[in-house]
Amino acid sequence: MKTWLEGGSLRLLAAAIVVVNGFFPALWILLTSLKSEAELVSKPITYLPRDVVLQNYVEVFTHQPLIRYLINSFVVAAASTLLCLVVAGCAAYAIARLGLRRRQLILTCIVASSMFPPVTLLVPVFETMRSLNLLNTYTALVLPYTVLSLPVCTLVMTSHFQSIPKDLENAAMIDGCTRWGALWRIVVPLAAPGVFTAGVLSFVNAWDEFLLALSLNAVASMRTLPVGIAFYQGEFSFPWPVISAALVVAIVPVAVLIAIFQERVTSGFTHGALRG
Amino acid sequence: MRLADRFRDPGDRALAILLLAPAFLLLAAIVVYPIMRLLWNSFFDLRLSGGAGPTFVGVENYVLVLQDRDFWKATAHTALITLVTVPGALLAGLGLAMLANLPFKRRWPVRLALLLPWALPMAFAGLIFAWFFHSEYGVVNDVARRFGGDGQRMWLLQPNWAFAAICLTIIWKTSSFMALILLAGLQTIPNSLYDAAEVDGASKWQQFRRITIPLLMPSIVVALVFRTIAALQTFDIPYTMTRGGPGDATQTLAMLIHKTTIEYLDVGYGSTIAVFMFVLSLFVTSPYLRRIGSSA
Repeated sequence: MKTWLEGGSLRLLAAAIVVVNGFFPALWILLTSLKSEAELVSKPITYLPRDVVLQNYVEVFTHQPLIRYLINSFVVAAASTLLCLVVAGCAAYAIARLGLRRRQLILTCIVASSMFPPVTLLVPVFETMRSLNLLNTYTALVLPYTVLSLPVCTLVMTSHFQSIPKDLENAAMIDGCTRWGALWRIVVPLAAPGVFTAGVLSFVNAWDEFLLALSLNAVASMRTLPVGIAFYQGEFSFPWPVISAALVVAIVPVAVLIAIFQERVTSGFTHGALRG
Repeated sequence: MRLADRFRDPGDRALAILLLAPAFLLLAAIVVYPIMRLLWNSFFDLRLSGGAGPTFVGVENYVLVLQDRDFWKATAHTALITLVTVPGALLAGLGLAMLANLPFKRRWPVRLALLLPWALPMAFAGLIFAWFFHSEYGVVNDVARRFGGDGQRMWLLQPNWAFAAICLTIIWKTSSFMALILLAGLQTIPNSLYDAAEVDGASKWQQFRRITIPLLMPSIVVALVFRTIAALQTFDIPYTMTRGGPGDATQTLAMLIHKTTIEYLDVGYGSTIAVFMFVLSLFVTSPYLRRIGSSA
């Protein structure tokens, strides 16, 4: 596409459309969180805060269990990401490196499992966790989250493992490395970008999940961020000052994560990072 | 050979089995077993609230589901959400991807603007947009007032408007996922094709129709399949915006399953509804699965 978009100002307009579309909800919630409660319920509404107040942030950290939700979300997301990387990494190595005859079939089986609607898993997983007395524990969420991200992570890591020349590994083994040594010293460092991509994707999946967290960990002290914040809202009242401040606190960690790893995450989409 | 030696230097086959085992065990425990259990449960009267154990009832649950007006209403809502938001997100996503694919000097602001909505939890998008559509202090009614409307609309309290607000939110939230997949596809199209078309005197529109769309088709199909599966399971956004209300005007299938199973603890009946949803999404995925299966 050339000529009419060659002009710098039109290109700037295109960039502005994309940027505004992406950032306006987060920006609006940030502005909301900085307004006093009195300002939020006055009409006509203000766009920029008249006086910037941090009262809402003080409130969420002192009178609301936000820290607890942050810890829960972080523990669940980190644990399921680590577990997923190990399990998917092993599977990906076997598929990419070991010359199996049915490797495409094995990969298809794993990827196909991402097509099962998690909602249909909800009922039996709930029933099983309940009979094992695992409701309201981290385990109840870590295991399903690991499985939800397993297909994507296996796919991404398989394609990265395949891109490492097999000769490098063979050379190391000739030089006296064991297979594990070659794996640890040669393959893992070279596949690191793929591991980061898979890790960020799986972390974001777990951080965002709502339905299972709502159903399996309903007790207030075990809620993750999305569930905890959604429950600030009563049947008919929305305590918006608190919700907006809590949302900002909850969005920042993931926003920082994807800002740091944006190239890795974007490359995940070429490898089929598939969760709509 | 001693066991320790075999561990230190295993053969390819033994190693492959060892490495694949954890993945398949997890999939068996969290995907295959639950699906079996789901089918099994759907033939029982199984309520976790009462003391009585499960009673075999044959296909009674299925008969009851087919006569259940709530089920059909929820199915209709889910179908409508899918039919509106999937094409909507595809068009919006295609637009965003085309804009983001222009040759900017600095790529990160545009890239981050696509990644942020994608990484934002659905539940947060629902909460934020519920605030936008707030009838008293929401920015939507305020803008409507500035453009001469009365700005009094009770968005989330009127069935049709609540539905529209939910669909709009879903389209905003999911178009960035579409855009990221399509952008990855756009970047694989070589510029030389456009240059050649230029030389042959093809217009921009012709280039878009004859080069961009055909070459982008594989990405479009992938994005559509995954978005459709996810749309059939819509839960987070209507739950956080309206809790399915007013009444049950925005209740989706996933919300009905959640309510039946988790709130009423009627596992047998909930499982039966879930089986219907499973079959529904199989219709969407089977053509796609056959394709990746045959390319193996």
